[in-house]
Amino acid sequence: MHIPDGYISPQTAGGLWAMMVPAWYWAGHKVKSTLSTRQAPLVAIGAAFIFVIMMFNIPVPGGTTAHAVGGTLVAVVIGPWAAVIAVTVALVIQALFFGDGGILAIGANCFNMALALPLSGYYSYRLLSAGSRPASTRQWIAAGAGGYVGVNVAALLTAIEIGVQPGLFHSADGAALYSPYQLSESIPAMMIAHLSLIGFVEASVTALAVLYLQRTNAGILNNFGAAGRSVSAYGPAATAGNVTGFKLRPLITGVVLLLVFAPLGLLAAGTAWGEWSPAEVGAKLGFIPEGMRRLSGIWSGIMPDYALPGQGETGFWGAVPGYLISGIVGLGLVGAIAYGAAKLLSRRAERTG
Amino acid sequence: MAEIKAATPEWMLAARQTGSCIPTGERLKPGAIERTVRGLSRALRETVFAEKVASRDGLLQGVDPRAKLVGLLGLLIVAALVRHWYVLLGLYALTLAAARLSRISPWFFVKRVWLFIPIFAGIIVLPSLFNVVRPGDPLWTIWDFGREVTFGPWSLGESLAVTRQGLDGAVLLVMRVAVSVSLAMLLTLTTRWADLLKALRVFLVPRIFILILSMTYRYIFLLLGLASDMFVARTSRMVGPATPGEDRRFAAGSMGTLLGKSHTLSDEIYAAMISRGYNGEPMSMHRFQMRAHDWSWLAAAFVIGLVAMGGDRFLG
Amino acid sequence: MDDSRRHMGAPYEEAFKKDAAGIKAPVNNAPEVEGRKNMVIFEARGVGYRYDDDEALSNVSLNVHAGERLALLGANGSGKSTLLKMLDGLIFPTEGSIHAFGEELSEAALRDDGFSRAFRQRVGFVFQNSDTQLFSPSVREEIAFGPLHLGISLEAADERVEDTIHILGLQHLSDRPPYHLSGGEKKKVALASVLAVGPDVLLFDEPTAGLDPKTETFLARLIVQLAAAGKTIITATQDLRLVAEIAERVIILGEDHKLAGEGTPSEILGNRELLLAANLIHDHPHRHNGIEHFHPHSHLKDHHRDEE
Repeated sequence: MHIPDGYISPQTAGGLWAMMVPAWYWAGHKVKSTLSTRQAPLVAIGAAFIFVIMMFNIPVPGGTTAHAVGGTLVAVVIGPWAAVIAVTVALVIQALFFGDGGILAIGANCFNMALALPLSGYYSYRLLSAGSRPASTRQWIAAGAGGYVGVNVAALLTAIEIGVQPGLFHSADGAALYSPYQLSESIPAMMIAHLSLIGFVEASVTALAVLYLQRTNAGILNNFGAAGRSVSAYGPAATAGNVTGFKLRPLITGVVLLLVFAPLGLLAAGTAWGEWSPAEVGAKLGFIPEGMRRLSGIWSGIMPDYALPGQGETGFWGAVPGYLISGIVGLGLVGAIAYGAAKLLSRRAERTG
Repeated sequence: MAEIKAATPEWMLAARQTGSCIPTGERLKPGAIERTVRGLSRALRETVFAEKVASRDGLLQGVDPRAKLVGLLGLLIVAALVRHWYVLLGLYALTLAAARLSRISPWFFVKRVWLFIPIFAGIIVLPSLFNVVRPGDPLWTIWDFGREVTFGPWSLGESLAVTRQGLDGAVLLVMRVAVSVSLAMLLTLTTRWADLLKALRVFLVPRIFILILSMTYRYIFLLLGLASDMFVARTSRMVGPATPGEDRRFAAGSMGTLLGKSHTLSDEIYAAMISRGYNGEPMSMHRFQMRAHDWSWLAAAFVIGLVAMGGDRFLG
Repeated sequence: MDDSRRHMGAPYEEAFKKDAAGIKAPVNNAPEVEGRKNMVIFEARGVGYRYDDDEALSNVSLNVHAGERLALLGANGSGKSTLLKMLDGLIFPTEGSIHAFGEELSEAALRDDGFSRAFRQRVGFVFQNSDTQLFSPSVREEIAFGPLHLGISLEAADERVEDTIHILGLQHLSDRPPYHLSGGEKKKVALASVLAVGPDVLLFDEPTAGLDPKTETFLARLIVQLAAAGKTIITATQDLRLVAEIAERVIILGEDHKLAGEGTPSEILGNRELLLAANLIHDHPHRHNGIEHFHPHSHLKDHHRDEE
């Protein structure tokens, strides 16, 4: 899911940088007010943790391995805004020192994996776990679901950013200047793999890690989890509102799932995957499912060739729709989930408080 | 010793173990765990290597980190903007020269760039060469169907051909990735990481963020060590290969353990920081100074960028 | 090792005296320590500490005088680390109170910038796990961290770093990142980072745990010399051999997290019942001249390296 330099235009990359700056500012502000002087070590270690678990190979069906991002897991433990900074730091270090993801593309990669992923994952988790005790089964299931949502939101945004490139940036005779694949190709390539496999890897890792912590180290889950209790021996830790009892829950769960899956379903419908798909998946995610590789030799699906509005405009300003589209979709998704969660949680707090 | 003997079960004291030590010829396939351990130790080795290169006495090592960062970032943007692969080829040649002058083995530099990254980029881009994926002017027809071939709702068209547009786009993408990766490598191989992070101050990155970045980088090594200890400990206890399910549970369990240890660690580090006077306002020693050759480096980077952009426009 | 030993001795003590005298607290919340040998610098009254539902320390009262060499002896989990952290104002008693330099050590007091600076300059803490203390990108910056954050100018901090590097013989390590150091080197750098602040009081948590014998000897000698230079030294340990070398007064914490005894090293080390009760020694089968027998044996350091 790490976009390298060269796959997206500098205009798209720059636009996403511009969107991330206020997000980082806001995250820094939130973290400073909740964690005060503790923020540096806590966020730094959270980032180091994310970096290390991105290197864990996890076996997936088909005999190969994938890796988790861990953004949702870290958000559950240190809080969503601290996680925004922690994942950013991990991504910056990966790009600068390990060549994983481009340097100009840091803005884009952070938008997908450091902003959209932890926020959508965390608020899904909060919604699904609202009212449950820290040690309950629902906690770790909700964390797993949050991991699944987060990683798929990030994958969808990545696919959109890559997919808008050929329509916006091509030479006079139609040769692509950056990534050559369109939305109709990039979205299924990313989403089929993420909805069917990677999402479950992230979900199971997140859920199992939370389950493990419930049994061995419950204290650290209470920080930002369901109960607001100080966990640190040193100084004040942030506390989250105490959330219990929640009647609208099943309805909200359904709505969130619909919100997430309906657009993906629409986008994926009517398309097939061709020989480029496993390679794309393999290079970006570090594995190629055996079955997919075999199938792709036989299959050679054809994409309906549709153009984006704005095609033909290739100047600097032609880029604007590119990041606007991914921005709007991303912010829309994250915003809807976050807003819904915040609204419901605060209404609940008013009622009980 | 009598007490120990009495308390210890017979099997533990028995000298003979079942099975012989003669190889059976069966190979154990490297599983997820082994690959993780290898990945972890490779990451450690690479950074040690990078520190070594950064301390050599070469062209880019001598440039002020801030000037180097600004210059290479500018060239990265130029490489992202140009539209002709031969302009990119020229830029690539310059990165090779810079690597040579910075005493980076050219073979290592070329291998690192071409063996890993663009090959993946190349595979990804391969399908886009063909007219069935991206329509365009046929350059080389591989298979003329003679008529329009359809699969249900999908049409394959009348022939399978490599298109000129497809080829242009593919070469451009691969070259762009290669130049971008080379520029990034020049930056990170010739700069100590602590200096590189401090150089981010030129882009008005807040001090607290730089402190977090440098602490993260430092503690990655501690966590990598803890993680690979866990994996090695498990491998040494394993008799025969593990099932993927076991591997998954182990991976999640070790992540949980690691997260718990990380949390304790961050508490202790915090205590150590405030014990030495930290109060949320990071301070650090800056010793950067722009000298004549730093300015000439910036000027050179600017001229190279300008020539590349101008040439690109001139070529149409 | 040999490299560093060359720097020990007279010039070394000189350097520390100079260093200690060179520090002036920006405000006078805490009285001057110099020249008041019998002044009480720490006063703990009925101190207890609970974390969640676990008791870590219970009803401990003690005085620490300026220039004293004190050892806190106790088995794992007896609460000696907790007590040490409380003396450094890192955690605060849940029962009773601790006064330092006449001022109560509380979260509120340490939020006062003046007191906090004066206190942090006077009291240095060498952690058991050096990795938690070495968070900077290079040895040089690690040593500069304390002085810089306590409001010393860049030039003065630079001079201190150079002095400290010279005293501890760390010249060859000064630009290395901390993760490439050995355990003994890490310990020395951690110590250097604390000494650069120029504290009057040094708190050591299990200083010899996990060290090679050479570094261990170096550290014990250093502690003695620091004491000779007028520093107050409080060491938490379970290494009985170390106690005799570096302490003039010993306090024993029992497994019930309470004070179990107090005395000179020879009194304490000669009290077999007390040491057995505090789980600091145990009977251990031994073989001398082919005859198997039992006699009391101390927990040597490597027995219980990982306290947490």
